[in-house]
Amino acid sequence: MSEAKHKFAFYLGCIAPNRYPGCEAASIKAMKKLGVELVPLKGASCCPAPGAFGSIDLNVFYAMAARNLVLAEQMKMDIALLCNGCYKSIWEVNHKLKHNQDLKDGVNEVLKEIDMEFKGTINVYHTAELLYNDKFIGVQKVRDSVTNPLKGARIAVHYGCHLMKPHKDREFEKESMLNTEHPTWMEELVSALGATPVEYRNKMQCCGAGSGVRGYDIVHSLDITNEKLINLKEVKVDALTDICPFCQLQFDRGQIEIQEKFGVTYGLPVLHYAELLGLAQGMSPQDLGLDLHGISCEPFLQKVL
Amino acid sequence: MVRKKGYPEALEKKLRDQRYYREDSNPEFLPKVKAISRTIAHMCFQCGTCTGSCPSAPRSTYRIRQFMRRAVLGLENEALTDPDLWLCTTCYSCTDRCPRDIAPTDVIMAMRNLAFKRDIIPVNFLKTVQAIYSSGHGVPNNDVNRAARERLGLTRDPPTTHMYPEYIKGIQTILNHYNLKANADRIVKEREG
Repeated sequence: MSEAKHKFAFYLGCIAPNRYPGCEAASIKAMKKLGVELVPLKGASCCPAPGAFGSIDLNVFYAMAARNLVLAEQMKMDIALLCNGCYKSIWEVNHKLKHNQDLKDGVNEVLKEIDMEFKGTINVYHTAELLYNDKFIGVQKVRDSVTNPLKGARIAVHYGCHLMKPHKDREFEKESMLNTEHPTWMEELVSALGATPVEYRNKMQCCGAGSGVRGYDIVHSLDITNEKLINLKEVKVDALTDICPFCQLQFDRGQIEIQEKFGVTYGLPVLHYAELLGLAQGMSPQDLGLDLHGISCEPFLQKVL
Repeated sequence: MVRKKGYPEALEKKLRDQRYYREDSNPEFLPKVKAISRTIAHMCFQCGTCTGSCPSAPRSTYRIRQFMRRAVLGLENEALTDPDLWLCTTCYSCTDRCPRDIAPTDVIMAMRNLAFKRDIIPVNFLKTVQAIYSSGHGVPNNDVNRAARERLGLTRDPPTTHMYPEYIKGIQTILNHYNLKANADRIVKEREG
């Protein structure tokens, strides 16, 4: 393997490393095959959760996210991350602090207490964006890296909210990523793995977990998830793929809670795109820790392996 | 700010409707919301695109448009004490579609910040603060996951504050700067004993 063309500080967040470690393992291995090295970002913390922390005090939210950004600035590396919620915190706070001197000054006043200073010297990317943008990897390279095409699998995409919305504030180089009404760039990435991407009703709806609603009113939160699951059932998919471990938790563990609370069973396997990519590049379900998922991935695996 | 116009009683009653300013309008509320949210909340013309885009609206009485109106009219108490304030999942669909380029989601966030100053906050938000204060993570690692990580060829604890707890002190300093941990502990204790 030749030396990696691109290097990023890999910001993990909470749910990927602590609930779905397969997302982390698959990202590191799969991206390496595609010429992107993900280097540990030592001492990073929760992003912090944009809904929970932002709701309490936005100033704390800015300062906590800035601390994570400074760790990467000290490594002189751009950040790559694999969670939409983390993207909202880390990308958006980076962007806000770079463009608002008053916010930057406020944050630096606090960071001074821990001998840190936000300088605004790095950029932040989602791994899905790196995979899609041919400046880094691109769909063709993803397709070329596939050794085990996920042939015959019908896969729907859950984009989640915080990577792309609000599009007015986002600065993606690929224009197709700015389409928040009916994006199809993730479907291109699903096709690249040999699977069939499937459209469904109200694809861009939220998973229902965000901003503490899952903790505040679980039934309300699950009802939003359930609406998506009803729409997914309608088009008979083998799996749902996401690019946000928090959405994944809501759809995966959420299905168990939906069964308990609403008495409806879907049995729909939910996999992060990194996990799908790992499978398509020949990683085994064991290598990906798919047994940790709340909903068994077996029916889907039988189809593609 | 118009509070009372001295019209006949029937008209006064109509004016107390929430389309208009009322006795309890606080003219300071809108500027406070604007300063925290950094969005042009006063530009809302009540088209309802926000509520129409909201995944929480069809399954509750939460109406983001109503909160936008409350911001403009200064109906501070009504906004901050409404339990629906906490039903926004911050999906940003309303912000994505707002024809006036307002960020209603950020208006909600600002109102939640103002509510917290009055100790109005669901307890689950504070528990996330407590978890991050002690471990650096909102969703911390556990033994089942540690074993799984090892099996996957990863370190038992991720290379975050979990593997390098010496970094937690910095996080605690930030949270203490805003007195957030003390406030969280106090409120959780008041609610749960």
